[in-house]
Amino acid sequence: MSNVASRWSVGWAAPILGLAIFGIVGACRGTTIPASARSADAVTPERGEVLYSNYCAQCHKADGHGQESVGAPSIAGLPQWYVKTQLMNFRQGIRGAHFDDIEGLRMRPMSLSLPAQEDVDAVSLYVGTMRPVAPAPSVQGGDAGHGSQLFTTCQACHGTDGKGNEAMGAPPLTVQPDWYLVRQLGKFKNGVRGADPRDVKGATMRPMAQGLADEQAMKDVVGHVMTLR
Amino acid sequence: MIESLVQPGSTFAPDIDFVINLVGGLVFFWGGLTVAMFFWLLWRYRYREGVKALYVTGNEPELKRWINIPHYLIILCDLAIIGFAVQTWYKVKQDIPPVDDEIRVVGQQWAWTFQHTGPDGKMGTDDDIKTADVLHVEVDKTYQFTLESRDVLHSFSVPIFRLKQDVIPGREIQGWFHPTVAGAFDIQCAEMCGIGHGIMAARIIVETPEQHAAWLAGAK
Repeated sequence: MSNVASRWSVGWAAPILGLAIFGIVGACRGTTIPASARSADAVTPERGEVLYSNYCAQCHKADGHGQESVGAPSIAGLPQWYVKTQLMNFRQGIRGAHFDDIEGLRMRPMSLSLPAQEDVDAVSLYVGTMRPVAPAPSVQGGDAGHGSQLFTTCQACHGTDGKGNEAMGAPPLTVQPDWYLVRQLGKFKNGVRGADPRDVKGATMRPMAQGLADEQAMKDVVGHVMTLR
Repeated sequence: MIESLVQPGSTFAPDIDFVINLVGGLVFFWGGLTVAMFFWLLWRYRYREGVKALYVTGNEPELKRWINIPHYLIILCDLAIIGFAVQTWYKVKQDIPPVDDEIRVVGQQWAWTFQHTGPDGKMGTDDDIKTADVLHVEVDKTYQFTLESRDVLHSFSVPIFRLKQDVIPGREIQGWFHPTVAGAFDIQCAEMCGIGHGIMAARIIVETPEQHAAWLAGAK
């Protein structure tokens, strides 16, 4: 009788133990990013790398080089201050909340999925440490010669070398892919980006983009930017 | 049951709730009965010293009726479910009421955008109002919506309306709803659409006529 009883107890214990292990493993998997790390101490490149691989790498790739097929630009080489500003703009609906901003609408919920402000800081810090790249040109038909004349308007903020100027809120252009720059110029020109009243820097950029007559002018000026690398 | 968890907020929500409650109630009844029977049999024929197990084939009439009678009763329940489901399907998909206004709903990874007709009440004109993440409608008006996708499969889900409709790239899918309760409610995507699927949320603001007029005036 005692043998029968012990066999029964083992028989019931096995599935219960299995379920318990399953639950514990599941709980551990959900805590890849320590939820307790919510202080300024958590703003480190190491934590930023973990967050980046969880939230950003699917589109921007692990090396930050981006992929045109999903409209995700190269972000490696962008300075920390610019990445943070843009992430905050996305989170607050200043950018990426326009009906026609297809890529921005995709980016906005991803920026909101970062749980806390410290996470934004950490990701920005990490992206700022990524090795810059010079993405291969993919836009055809740009006249860099004509673009160099048009670029005189841009260089007041972005610099003659296109390396940007933090004091003006102007990001470096030379590390960004040409397809992305053409697309963003179009968005600024059409009010898809920079039209939100809270977007002070965007409001500066909009009339500059509106000064470009058409898409060819945008290709030309971006063609010149590609020569500055 | 379900209406106590999620408030019904459209004219067809009570009909859909009835079918869900009917299916849920019948499944609960038969499932509970089966589980109770199962444990009763486990207890009734538990191991006893000196008693050998009896092998039964299940073909004996007095045993087989334990299967047959519930089987016939469940078929009757199925027929009732089919009857009520077809009735509800007709009301939601076939018996479409006159439309008061139109909305264009565009799904994309991972946001909902909306095109409202604007003050002139006509879609595709200059005074259309385009929004991201927020849909404005008026209570007690019938809306026809057109669903479009910019990329992959999505599903336009408004739980309070009991509305869930797939959005398919390349197609313009139409449907309707008639809000009956004012307030702000959830819109969600109910079709796996990529890494941001779980956060592809928006809000529907169901407004009184005065609130809606004020929004229209301020939106342009």
